Amino acid sequence: MRVHLVGWPSGLTVRPADPYPALAALLLVALVTGILLLLNPLVGFKHISIVYLIPVMIAATRWGTVPAVIAAIAGFGCADFFFYPPLYTFVVYDPQQILDLVLFVIVALVTGYLANNLRRQAEVARRHEGDMRDLHAFSRRLAQCESAADIYAAIEDHLSRTVRRRVVLIGAASGGGAAGPPGAAVPDLVRREAGDIAAGRNPRRFTVTGGSSGNLWLVRPVSARTPELGTIAIDLGGESRAAADDITGHVDAVLADAAETLDRLDVATAIHDAKLRAETNVLRDALIGSVSHELRTPLASILGAASVIAGAPAVTQDPRLASLAELVRDEAEHLDSDIQNLLDATRITAQGVQPKREWADPTDIVNVAVERRRRRLADHRIEMALSADLPLLHVDPVLLEQALGQILGNAAKYSPPGSTIWVKAYRGVDRVVMSVQDQGAGLTADEHGRLGERSFRGRRHAFTIAGSGLGMWIAQAFVGANGGTIDTSSEGEGRGTTVAFSFPISDAGELQDVDDD
Amino acid sequence: MSTMTKPASRTVLVIDDEPQIRRFLRAGFELEDFTVRETGNAAEGIRLATLKPPDLVILDLGLPDMDGADVVECLRAWSNVPIIVLSVRSEEDEKVRLLELGADDYVVKPFGMAELLARARAALRRNVRAPSGEPVVNVGPLSVDLAARIVSLDGNRLPLTPKEYRLLQVLTLNAGKVVTHQHLLKEVWGSGHVHNTQYLRILIRKLRQKIEPDPTQPRILATELGVGYRLSQAGLDAEAQVPAA
Repeated sequence: MRVHLVGWPSGLTVRPADPYPALAALLLVALVTGILLLLNPLVGFKHISIVYLIPVMIAATRWGTVPAVIAAIAGFGCADFFFYPPLYTFVVYDPQQILDLVLFVIVALVTGYLANNLRRQAEVARRHEGDMRDLHAFSRRLAQCESAADIYAAIEDHLSRTVRRRVVLIGAASGGGAAGPPGAAVPDLVRREAGDIAAGRNPRRFTVTGGSSGNLWLVRPVSARTPELGTIAIDLGGESRAAADDITGHVDAVLADAAETLDRLDVATAIHDAKLRAETNVLRDALIGSVSHELRTPLASILGAASVIAGAPAVTQDPRLASLAELVRDEAEHLDSDIQNLLDATRITAQGVQPKREWADPTDIVNVAVERRRRRLADHRIEMALSADLPLLHVDPVLLEQALGQILGNAAKYSPPGSTIWVKAYRGVDRVVMSVQDQGAGLTADEHGRLGERSFRGRRHAFTIAGSGLGMWIAQAFVGANGGTIDTSSEGEGRGTTVAFSFPISDAGELQDVDDD
Repeated sequence: MSTMTKPASRTVLVIDDEPQIRRFLRAGFELEDFTVRETGNAAEGIRLATLKPPDLVILDLGLPDMDGADVVECLRAWSNVPIIVLSVRSEEDEKVRLLELGADDYVVKPFGMAELLARARAALRRNVRAPSGEPVVNVGPLSVDLAARIVSLDGNRLPLTPKEYRLLQVLTLNAGKVVTHQHLLKEVWGSGHVHNTQYLRILIRKLRQKIEPDPTQPRILATELGVGYRLSQAGLDAEAQVPAA
């Protein structure tokens, strides 16, 4: 820890505004004179002048040099006037007494000077002790800081208390958040300096603003090693350079401590990471945007063109051509839904799922999901069983339709053509369940456990059935974001799979009668 | 097909900045005897529409020079030509906005030509019917006599409550077209209830129980998730025309 020292006084500290110490010194001399006048006839002092050293020393230790000198001169005068013959004049004849008085003055001045220094040192020590106590308190507080924001608050608090000046944090990096009071007017010059420091330039000794009136600002990086942690600016007002130097020492000591704590918390790394993350996100968004446009636009053309060809009389009359046109269209559709899955997965990872909830009828969701996949399900027998009295759910119907679509797609993919897929929606105990059951490949115990993993694909199908393995993962994300759960069950390999979404029923979702006049 | 017998060919204006998309749209519409005019930007599209009003506008939402909503507004300022919007997925709010602004329908990319043609026919039919004020609308087995306020299913008169009838009336007046939740709520319950989606869900279910052969698998009153409902002429027509595919 760095400690700051106040320099040895280079001259007399003159405090002209304060006449009381001088008066007090004179009073002391008067008091001593009174006592001596009373006691002298009884005791008969030999070296009266020595007694006058008492007020000089008191004045020096208490009030400094000037009162001490005043006490010395007054003491000299009083001793001469009242006690050295001829009495009641300032005239002295006895050389012994002259020497006595001269010695008195010298001793008084030296003693006064020494006593005054002692006083100053005591004062410095006391102030120093206070500083140390503050710094310790500050260190303790820093040790408890858990985030950059805490540290910034601690620095600001501590500095504004100990320096008693306005302290502003500028550009505390995004991780911190504790920037200075937003409305605080910080001169542009100071902001510019702070910007320069953040950019890595060494700080100036002071920044002077306000033209000739010369307001002093102290601008320092919070951490000299990592300038991007932010900058601290302290308004020193019209302080003299010397006093400003004093404050600078203190501020630097505080900041050194704070920087150490910031290092300990690895705030710099965190901020750096956050910046990197932000850049990565921008890059990913750009990539998503370009992939979705660059790939999906041609696919939309292929799909559209294939559908036109499939409907053209020349093709419809030839079953072989018709089936080829169908093939192009189906494959383009598959490719498109795979790309859509990739985009969805990337988006879920990057931003999470943001459902737009509304009161929705679960039967609507199931019907639309099946309707949209009519073509993909065309080779299977679809058995629908939807209860007529299901309560409404407060969910994002569009996301759930997509989730259910993933499950329907899987059911079609992993069960043989001609087999049956049962689609149900029913009321369970305090839940609404939507389920898809197939007669397909089923799940082994291992597959069942790993089904929800992103990009997981069963080894049995990895080379025979196309897919990205994202479907189930996306469905889980969508269902989970809407407050539901997915249960997957299978009697075992080759014995079909049942996937069930369930959502809690809320009282508000129960159908009341709409008041129908 | 019936289109082959029609003497006057109808004009469709395609506004899409992707030339490949325009190419297959042109082929698809021309095979159905439409006259196709096309452009890659909104300003030119609006100019073409003003110069010689088309019977149908196909408008892509991702145009470089103008927001899709602005184009719809601009066209709607002077024309009630049917507008079908080509949009991408996950933009339900945008679809709702465009429908409220006056677009007739939307198709989500990627789409097949048959789907777009079905929507186009529904939009055109609606446009032809509207001025003549044909009082009876038939949707499959359902018949709605708007003048006499009589609804019947397979010839049997259905007793509907006033709210059920109002809901069906709004959907019938826009038969084949998506009607947004907000619009239905406003028409049936008044503008103070545009966010009470629950009311709408419940009334829709009650109406379906009366007009649908199987209310849990509706074919007449179709759901457009996150957007609204549609009295599905297109769906029933498509089923009737299946042999063609």
